[in-house]
Amino acid sequence: MTTEPTLGDDLKRLEEIVRRLEADDLPIEEALRIFEEGVGRLRTAKTRLADAETRVQQVLRDTAEGDGVRLEPLDG
Amino acid sequence: MSGLDDAWSVSRLARTLKDRVESEFPATWVKGELVGVKRYPSGHVYFGLRDDLAKIDCTIWRSVAARLKTPIEEGAEVFALGTPSVWEERSALRFNVVQVLPASAVGASAQNVERIKQSLLADGLLDPGRKRPLPEYPSRIAVITSVAGAVVRDIITVARRRWPAIELLVINAAVQGDNAPGELVAALETLALLDGIELCIIGRGGGAKEDLAAFNDEAVCRAIAAAPVPVISAVGHEVDVTLADLVADLRAATPSQAAEFALPERAEVARQVTMLDTRIQAALHASLTRRSERLERTRDRMASALLQRLRTAERRVLAAAGSLPASLERHVRRPRERLAALGARLEPAVTRRLIRLTATLDRDAAKLHALSPLAVLGRGYAVATDEQGHVLRRTADFKTGASFTLRVSDGTIPARREAT
Repeated sequence: MTTEPTLGDDLKRLEEIVRRLEADDLPIEEALRIFEEGVGRLRTAKTRLADAETRVQQVLRDTAEGDGVRLEPLDG
Repeated sequence: MSGLDDAWSVSRLARTLKDRVESEFPATWVKGELVGVKRYPSGHVYFGLRDDLAKIDCTIWRSVAARLKTPIEEGAEVFALGTPSVWEERSALRFNVVQVLPASAVGASAQNVERIKQSLLADGLLDPGRKRPLPEYPSRIAVITSVAGAVVRDIITVARRRWPAIELLVINAAVQGDNAPGELVAALETLALLDGIELCIIGRGGGAKEDLAAFNDEAVCRAIAAAPVPVISAVGHEVDVTLADLVADLRAATPSQAAEFALPERAEVARQVTMLDTRIQAALHASLTRRSERLERTRDRMASALLQRLRTAERRVLAAAGSLPASLERHVRRPRERLAALGARLEPAVTRRLIRLTATLDRDAAKLHALSPLAVLGRGYAVATDEQGHVLRRTADFKTGASFTLRVSDGTIPARREAT
């Protein structure tokens, strides 16, 4: 369902990018490439943080399909 | 011993006894057998509690009787929680009971919990080293509880305040009663079927102690230990620690506290993101600046090496100009042309420096030209030299009758000093 990187993944990668840029042993092309990646991830992280929606779903076991589960919105 | 004059009234004695007894005794658990149970239409229940040697009259007031779960049955062995009191009208001692638990169940249950705990310990499930760290920025967490309870609502309230961008997947399970252990285990097993779950909160709202049984169940504890993600227990009881609390990765006193443990503070993370933004910009800027400085240093070294050669050439030109006035133009021009050609190939900074140098050379050449004797002669002066070539500077140098040579701009004229 969710395979895209999480906010945690983004922040971890950003830390790594900052460290690599600060270490300064990169060819200029690589430095610019990871900088651009960092800017992209920063944008994603900010978008995620701005997201104010708490989603609540109930997990229901689908006995008809053996081990299946399905999700239904649950009113908080 | 008191005298007759200050004899107490009966009521004073009764009240004093009551005050003493009630202030001396905190609420106390007493174990005994229920005897002479009487229920009155008012709803109050009266009985005796006794063991082999003693007996005490007990009262359960209507309000307490209404919520008691343990049946008050003749002959039952119970634990009774209460405070002793004196009924003043008869100076009769009474034990006012507020809670009753069947002794057999309590004993068996406590022993059972201890047995399960030893079994969990033996399997290493209570090792502190087993505790898994919580995810730092969860986006999807599971909540195992009864959807009928307040747990989900409590967690949502905290989530909206701290970390709104969260998805809660609620797995319904009874948290008390006979079905609770089985449903809790099934819910814990469901975790493995859910994608992207990073954490699980298992819990219930607050309640009385006997409602905690499901959280001391061995199968439930083992299912928590086997959960594919870290588990926070939130059994909703400040005082009693359940086995589920011990086996969970983290214990929270309430579901709200569990949510606070589970969720970071958005404002704090936003500050962190802003800081990363600043650092990443600064790091790239610093990196580019360092590279550009290295380039500049290289260029400066190249430029100064070139300038060194130019200065050497300049000195040689000036030296040549000084020693060979007659062929000044030719000697100045050739190096200057070479320098100009060289300058054209250099990068702009060096070129600018070259242009300045060339201009200096031009000015110096002009100066040299102005100072050359030929130029002076061109303005109408003449130089007199004797036959040995010595310049004749003053009248005394001109001997009467002596010949000398007068040099003007385009040649020489033979001359002789006449007698004065």
